[in-house]
Amino acid sequence: MCGILAVLGCSDDSQAKRVRVLELSRRLRHRGPDWSGLHQFGGNYLTHQRLAIIDPASGDQPLYNEDKSIVVTVNGEIYNHEQLRKSLANHKFRTGSDCEVIAHLYEEHGENFVDMLDGVFSFVLLDKRDNSFIVARDAIGVTSLYIGWGLDGSVWISSEMKGLNDDCEHFEAFPPGHLYSSKEHGFKRWYNPVWFSESIPSTPFDPLALRKAFENAVIKRLMTDVPFGVLLSGGLDSSLVSSVTARHLAGTKAAEQWGTQLHSFCVGLEGSPDLKAGKEVADYLGTVHHEFHFTVQDGIDAIEDVIYHIETYDVTTIRASTPMFLMSRKIKSLGVKMVISGEGSDELFGGYLYFHKAPNKEEFHQETCRKVKALHQYDCLRANKATSAWGLEVRVPFLDKEFINVAMSIDPEWKMIKRDQGRIEKWVLRKAFDDEENPYLPKHILYRQKEQFSDGVGYSWIDGLKAHAAQHVTDKMMQNAARIYPHNTPTTKEGYYYRMIFERFFPQNSARLTVPGGPSVACSTAKAIEWDAQWSNNLDPSGRAALGVHASAYEHATVPASLSAGKSAAEMNKKARIIKVPSQGVIIST
Amino acid sequence: MCGILAVLGCADVSLAKRARIIELSRRLRHRGPDWSGIHCFQDCYLAHQRLAIMDPASGDQPLYNEDKTVVVTVNGEIYNHEELRAKLQSHKFRTGSDCEVIAHLYEEYGEEFVDMLDGMFSFVLLDTRDKSFIAARDAIGITPLYLGWGLDGSVWFSSEMKALSDDCERFISFPPGHIYSSKTGGLRRWYNPPWYSESIPSTPYDPLALREAFEKAVIKRLMTDVPFGVLLSGGLDSSLVAAVASRHLAETKVAKQWGSQLHTFCIGLEGSPDLRAAKEVADYLGTLHHEFHFTVQEGIDALEEVIYHTETYDVTTIRASTPMFLMSRKIKSLGVKMVLSGEGSDEIFGGYLYFHKAPNKEEFHRETCRKIKALHLYDCLRANKATSAWGVEARVPFLDKSFINLAMDLDPEWKMVKRDLGRIEKWVIRNAFDDDKQPYLPKHILYRQKEQFSDGVGYSWIDGLKDYASQHVSDAMLMNASFVYPENTPTTKEGYFYRTIFEKFFPKICKQYPREHYDNKRIEDLAGIHQLSISGHLHNAARSTVPGGPSVACSTAKAVEWDAAWSKNLDPSGRAALGVHDAAYEDVPEKTTVTANPIAANGFAVTGAVEFATASPASA
Repeated sequence: MCGILAVLGCSDDSQAKRVRVLELSRRLRHRGPDWSGLHQFGGNYLTHQRLAIIDPASGDQPLYNEDKSIVVTVNGEIYNHEQLRKSLANHKFRTGSDCEVIAHLYEEHGENFVDMLDGVFSFVLLDKRDNSFIVARDAIGVTSLYIGWGLDGSVWISSEMKGLNDDCEHFEAFPPGHLYSSKEHGFKRWYNPVWFSESIPSTPFDPLALRKAFENAVIKRLMTDVPFGVLLSGGLDSSLVSSVTARHLAGTKAAEQWGTQLHSFCVGLEGSPDLKAGKEVADYLGTVHHEFHFTVQDGIDAIEDVIYHIETYDVTTIRASTPMFLMSRKIKSLGVKMVISGEGSDELFGGYLYFHKAPNKEEFHQETCRKVKALHQYDCLRANKATSAWGLEVRVPFLDKEFINVAMSIDPEWKMIKRDQGRIEKWVLRKAFDDEENPYLPKHILYRQKEQFSDGVGYSWIDGLKAHAAQHVTDKMMQNAARIYPHNTPTTKEGYYYRMIFERFFPQNSARLTVPGGPSVACSTAKAIEWDAQWSNNLDPSGRAALGVHASAYEHATVPASLSAGKSAAEMNKKARIIKVPSQGVIIST
Repeated sequence: MCGILAVLGCADVSLAKRARIIELSRRLRHRGPDWSGIHCFQDCYLAHQRLAIMDPASGDQPLYNEDKTVVVTVNGEIYNHEELRAKLQSHKFRTGSDCEVIAHLYEEYGEEFVDMLDGMFSFVLLDTRDKSFIAARDAIGITPLYLGWGLDGSVWFSSEMKALSDDCERFISFPPGHIYSSKTGGLRRWYNPPWYSESIPSTPYDPLALREAFEKAVIKRLMTDVPFGVLLSGGLDSSLVAAVASRHLAETKVAKQWGSQLHTFCIGLEGSPDLRAAKEVADYLGTLHHEFHFTVQEGIDALEEVIYHTETYDVTTIRASTPMFLMSRKIKSLGVKMVLSGEGSDEIFGGYLYFHKAPNKEEFHRETCRKIKALHLYDCLRANKATSAWGVEARVPFLDKSFINLAMDLDPEWKMVKRDLGRIEKWVIRNAFDDDKQPYLPKHILYRQKEQFSDGVGYSWIDGLKDYASQHVSDAMLMNASFVYPENTPTTKEGYFYRTIFEKFFPKICKQYPREHYDNKRIEDLAGIHQLSISGHLHNAARSTVPGGPSVACSTAKAVEWDAAWSKNLDPSGRAALGVHDAAYEDVPEKTTVTANPIAANGFAVTGAVEFATASPASA
């Protein structure tokens, strides 16, 4: 990822303003530690902090068209850039950067080219010929983006809130899948897939089509000129990502430069479920596996930093971001700049446990739509910002545009959990990769239910957070919470504690409005709480104690013993190579 | 390099204090991006930000002795750690970190072990058994360290000023070669080499001994578990470092992991003298050479950050730090974590052009002593902080303890510049590496005079800085400079401009102000960090950490006396002032242009020397 900051139509083009814009841009430097760039044109400033993944040698930004009349600052990856370059045969390219196509596409097609881009991106494009500009954000909001307005009429665009919150009168999250055009003074949605209307699809489940779509999504994300790896918690999603990556790595350009052995990374408290599950999958796939151990105190010491970086006070997001944030630092210190991760699958396939209680396929489907649309505020935000804090880029193949189209056009009847037919959550995805001849994963892993949310890093993590918060937040504070924080009032001491930290970093009213709220059970939307009358009585955001739908809650074991004992491909001439990187972490003596 | 911060004897031991110290420690995170550590023991905090060079897997800090009663947080490299470990047979080591020996040496020898360390280091060691502590800094001050005192009686140590300037009532630059002991409550010098007294040595010049000492100094600095390279400007010093490093790379452990091809790095404005000179050397040595070009605008845009990071307002230091700062970012982005660099040679051998005018060998020698003693305020500070800003470590073989001993033990008669004998500046080191059979460098490079100071990155760099500064500083401002800045009053607009930036980051008076205060927001912005609260106090310590006084072309104030004309032109760069560059000795036709030079009209007979030098690069 990179960091972009643009100020457009500023009344001030002085040296002092330039210095100020440079200064603000530096707040995004963690996103792009490799180089900075600033293009100033009158009262328009386009800045960039670069993380060099493609063409490290020449791709410094901002980027230009041939005659430099069009300037663009981009955070993102355009996976189909080579194909697009071919369609622009009469254009002369200045760099090898995948993002340069944006300037040329605009020149060729005007404002209507955004849907041609396959990838994740946030960009600001300035057309110096008529002093107009456009801004766009990718379909789902995998990259982060904020928009703000200054008192002088200037429009501000920033990858993170911290780049503009002190200088804008009002600001908000830039809606994903949208385009802002200065000519039209407003937003329009460029992303208009069939599923967006939330109508119920009827395409029958085709396992091979789904598999193929996912494989394609992973393969295109192997485009890199620098070392990379996969985040492997050992759950279904990250295991599939790792398995497919390991399978296709050998043929790629990245493998020629950096070797064909896949690096995988897992974080957890000592002895946690994720570490065990991650190791098992890594052994099976034969990856170079790196384990990072952290202590509850390490995590607590990092909380302020985490909230500053991810810019939210949402409780589950902060719980899950912290281990990811710590792991990202270690990953980066190994020289790895990019990781592939499994976010998005739970939303597309209704993988959260509360989906067990969906009353019918229509409700099920609409809830998945709502979840996908809200991803940019939750898991996308977490994955992007927790890694970007250390100059690490995360790629999420489940949120590939094509893959989403395929997955969201499946008749939701197939996604429904049906205990009687042996279908647990995300069964369609499991089934799609259930290949007897050439197994992607052993059956017991493919069909296993794993800890959700942050439980996997170790049960004492959340307990530790709650205990720490209780030291800082008194009962009296909780009594007055609604008066102090009338918007999205925290309902737990933990939530109150995070909120206090958030408000210190981002005191503006606009800031608190960028964070979602409302009732939720185990990550559900507010709407889905209606599915079970009991849920509204227990709004713990984690699912551990609340739902009673985990496999162990059913009388019979989900996975037949015959499946669990399925043949492991490790027996078939794949040798496991594990490098354990023990981290003594922050040592605390009390 | 790493970043260390220690607070000892705090009145406040609350959770909030812990959070504050973690926050302050984050201001040093650029020095150690790889991991953080904090150790709390009662009212003592030792924090660490780690750049993992040795033993990346297990060497996270703070480090301990066997029973964890001795805790140490270290920024540095101990080159003789294996040898020291061998001496500590009875001790059990926990990590592969080179710095762990410090805890064990203390256990074995008490406070008297510092001189046993061969390397560069700053550390704070806490003995929990009697709650005493010591802090020490390496001989020359290659690693930075500051010492401060809080109103509550706490003692603070920090790798950079920025982590303690807001919380200490008073602070100073920790003197190099010293140790602070809580038991005696004071500083004492542990570094006592013969040259320190500044008496005149008489050992005759032995070229091979000098060569061998330097080779050893380079070889021990090849100790690393991560990719590294050499900063190569193409001048004598960096070329020697590169030549020796590439010659010995193949034998090292690091070559097995990262390949035996040496990476070299050079920065300059497009077409600058350094780029050309370095390329020539890189081609000769067959290194994997990386050239970085920057524009004057890019340099200017980086100035605020450079001053924030280097923590100085010294004009030559800032001019030279900026390209180094930009280059370090690019080097780091290539995955390189450590570089060897040529700092120190000019001080040890009297390589600055003004040494041409040294009246006698005694003066010459004493000036070199003074220069070395001041290195921690100038080139060491620059080399360390400009690279550490991006998590790159700089190692400086010329400042090896044994090499300094040998070089400073030489009868200074040999170092004197003698045109009649064909001895230009730094002749002793040039001659030491003049090997006809197996040349380290081609003769014309070995004996070439190169641009000094920041001229090498491109002449328009300094001109650009001056132009930019004059847009910000009016004549009226400069006229009142002595009232605004009575201490180290800036004498040029450029100096004034840097000073205003410095004072913004490290203000002479910080009252208690809310966190929205602009200056502090700026600090946060620069650091890429954030602060929850600012508890500033009245202080005026920051500007006193920066040296001042008259200087011509990097001389000490004392050496300004060597030439009566110098005191009239105190331009800190040597370009126009000295008239001692090689080309100035030659009667070249261009001399007519010299008379047209406005500076020449001011009474400086042989100016414009550098212009000649570029027209005809001198080769002896």
